[in-house]
Order: sequence, then C-alpha cells, then structure tokens
Amino acid sequence: MKKVTYFPGCSAHGTSEEFDQTVKMVMKTLDVEMEEIPDWNCCGATSAHTMNESLAYALPLRNLVLAEKLSNDTMTIPCASCYQRMKSTKVHMDENPELAKKINTAVVGESLYEGRVAVKSMLQFCYEDIGLENIRSKVTSPISGMKIACYYGCLLTRPKAITQFDSPEYPMSMDKIVEALGAKAMPFDFKTECCGASFSISDTDVVLQLSGKILEMAKESGAHAIVVACPLCQSNLDMRQGDIEKKYKVKYDLPVFYLTQLMAMAFGFPKEKMMFAKHIVPVDGALAHIGEVIEEPKKPAKGKKAVKAESEVE
Amino acid sequence: MITLSYKGKNTFLEAVNKKSGSDVLECYQCGKCVSTFPVSNFMDFPPREIMQMIKLELKEECQMANSTWFCLTCSACSGRCPREINIPAVMEAVRHLAIEENYHPDSKQVKNIRKFHEIFLDMIKRYGRNYELRMMAEFNIRTRNLFKDMHLAPKALLKGKIPLGVKSMKSAKAIKKMYEMADKLEQQSK
Repeated sequence: MKKVTYFPGCSAHGTSEEFDQTVKMVMKTLDVEMEEIPDWNCCGATSAHTMNESLAYALPLRNLVLAEKLSNDTMTIPCASCYQRMKSTKVHMDENPELAKKINTAVVGESLYEGRVAVKSMLQFCYEDIGLENIRSKVTSPISGMKIACYYGCLLTRPKAITQFDSPEYPMSMDKIVEALGAKAMPFDFKTECCGASFSISDTDVVLQLSGKILEMAKESGAHAIVVACPLCQSNLDMRQGDIEKKYKVKYDLPVFYLTQLMAMAFGFPKEKMMFAKHIVPVDGALAHIGEVIEEPKKPAKGKKAVKAESEVE
Repeated sequence: MITLSYKGKNTFLEAVNKKSGSDVLECYQCGKCVSTFPVSNFMDFPPREIMQMIKLELKEECQMANSTWFCLTCSACSGRCPREINIPAVMEAVRHLAIEENYHPDSKQVKNIRKFHEIFLDMIKRYGRNYELRMMAEFNIRTRNLFKDMHLAPKALLKGKIPLGVKSMKSAKAIKKMYEMADKLEQQSK
C-alpha cells in the first residue's frame, strides 16, 4: 500500500465536493492511503498572486511546511489551481533559499521549509505513481462506448518549468487514463486553452467567450462528454454552459465529468456515489452510450487514380 | 500624441525586469504572444504592445491600461515565446508596481476584478479558507449588481453545488498574522 499526503483545497468542501469524494473512493480501490494535511489553509489562488507577491508565497508555504511534518514523500492535490500555487512556490523556494527564509518568517509559529515533499497533481500522481497498468487492472465495468474530450486547462501542464509534467501543448496523460477505462478519447485541439478561470465572477464575459470556444471544439470532436481534473474548469464549463448557449444561440448539452468520477464508474462503484446530482448539465445522455460499439471510420479504399498518383510521386 | 524624450536611464524597465526575473529587452516584437493570447479583445494593449511600452518607458500608459489585470496567467504566451520571456511574470510585475504606486485604471472591469481579488483575500483572512457563497454575495453587494448570476442560484443552491457554509480552519489566527507579516515584507521590498 502506498501512502500519500493529501491537500483537498477549499473547493473540495464546496463546488467540487464530488471530485473530493470520488478521489477518495478511487484511491482506496488503488490501494493508496491518503493522509490529509491537518488544518491546511487556502493556497491564495489567483487573488493572492494578483495582489501581493509575499502573501502568494506565504499561504502555500505554510501547507508545504505542514506537509513536511507528515512522513510521506509526495503530496497530491486534486485542484489544478492549488497544485499550481503549491508547485510554483516549491520550485521558487527550492531555487532561492534566501527568499524561502524570508517568506518563512510570515509562516508564524511553524518550522522551517526544507523542500522534502514532492508536489503532484492528482492527474500526475495517477499517471506516474500509480500507472496505467494498475488502473487498468482495477477496471471491472469498462465505460466503453463513451467518446470523451479530455480537457486539461492551463495549469496542469503549464508552465513547463513549474509543472515538469506532460506536454504544455498537447498532453496525453488523461487521454491514456480514459482509454484505460475503456472509453474513447477523441482528438481535441483545445486541451490546454484557458477556460477563463476566476473571471467567472469578476468579468463573466471573458469566461463565456473562452469556455464557449472550448465547448464548441469539444462538440466538434464528436465527444459525448468532457472530462476535467480541475474544479474551476468544471464549474465554468458546466455551470456556465447554459449562459454560453444562450449568448451564442447554440446547444451543446455536454456534461462535464471529473476524471475520478469516470474512474470510479469503471471501478464498479454504484452511480449514486458519484454525486451526479450536483451537475448542472444532466449526465444521463452521455452515460447512456456506455456499452455501445464505436465503429472506427473505415479508411477510404484507395482508388486506382490515387494509387497511380502515388506511384507517380515515387 | 506621445512625445518620447531620452533620459538616459529607463527606471521602469529596470523595476519590471527586477520584479519579473525576465529581460523585457529580449522581446523582438514578433507578436506570437498576441496570436496565442485568448483575451486580446478585452485588453487595451495586448502583451506585445505592453512589452514595447515598457521599453519606451511609457509607465503611466502601462499602469493605467486594463491589460495587466486581464492576464489569466495561463502561460500559453510564454510557452511559445521564442525569446523565452516569462510574459505573465512581466504582466504581474507591472501590475504589482501599479498597486504599490497607487495607480487606479478607470476601467469599470478593472475595478470589478480588483474588488473580486480583495474580497477573496478577505475571505481567507477571516476563515483561512474560501467561503464561496459569501464571496459571491459580497461581490454582488460591493459592485452594486445585486442580481448578478441570480438565475444560477436556484439550481446551484438546490443541487448543493454551492454549499451555504464554510468549514473554517482552527488556526485562522495564524493566517491573520501571516497577512500582517506579508504586508511588512512587501513594504521592505519596495
């Protein structure tokens, strides 16, 4: 059994409770024990680094210091934004011990940061530490028949210097996990475009424009649903989908799942445990495709002309 | 019309470079950042122009523009920058300098964005964690737009998407102290 430190993040108790719950279910099946950081605090998210650099480092640093009190060598974080803040702080503190010392003075009453704990997103942990083979071995009810657009957002793979994981332009880790569950990952060009993040509240038009394009491309890919590993991406694509459809006079009807919800489905957990009731866009339509046989498009047979043209080139 | 005068030393450029850890002079104005950039239509000046404005020491124009407030820090631009400039860090440096020096862009959107961040940080100061519902309510009150997103409320609340309360942390006091210390560190680094 593996043991790992767990940082749930604020939204785990709020908008993304279903992510938190399914992460716990999935990890149990995969023989991973998760130890939550006692009395963790908010990472500061976008707001801290927008307004105050020292605070933007100090808030995550407290969590990193608390994580070092536990005996695990890796911390995993479901929320992409928390992950980015934590990893970014870790990279900067590790590179610049003077800065770390300075920021540490704001983490009142806690010990000094040593940089002992690796920080990984839930996606990275599943892909690197658990591995596709292990995931595949736990699948009891494959979700074959579902076509899925894997949406990573900006923070799971970018910037490369911080995340040191997968491709910043066209990542494939989530696609491979989804395929291990039996589903078909569709080619999808907007994998790492930004959804508009916290502008959902501060300037909603930005999100309607950006998330609208992502939904448009996902629909065009032929997917039945989108899968994400970030609470803010989920709420922007799901909760704002109605507003987007209204503004641009379109109809997408694309449910937005968390990766771990689909993993839990494939691992045989009953549907009620996934908290699908919290989704704004109904999920049943997409789930009805499970069990369908996907016909691969036949490659067009080469006509005589084409063959001739090719041989001429040679 | 803007008149440029050569003063021998571009202190704005120096300050931005120091804060961002990048060298804005490296920018050769190819515009790849703009073509990558997802929200150009919202910005007064796209990143490429901001870069040039820093080089020309158009400090006031930079600081009063809404541009740096619209940066999503998605790092798409810097990932493709052939000069490997950390563009989001440059945008952030300009914004931090603007906050330090009390520049307040006239744009209503910037005022809203800034208010949102202040409310968010206030939630963390109070509870140690974000209280989502209260944050949204305070944003509506403080931006005098009471009915914003009210059409989502019945669905979001009934489905439990947004819970009514917050599980605040035990050592919320430590976070209050952290805020005080962080403010002191910011003062020192000026």
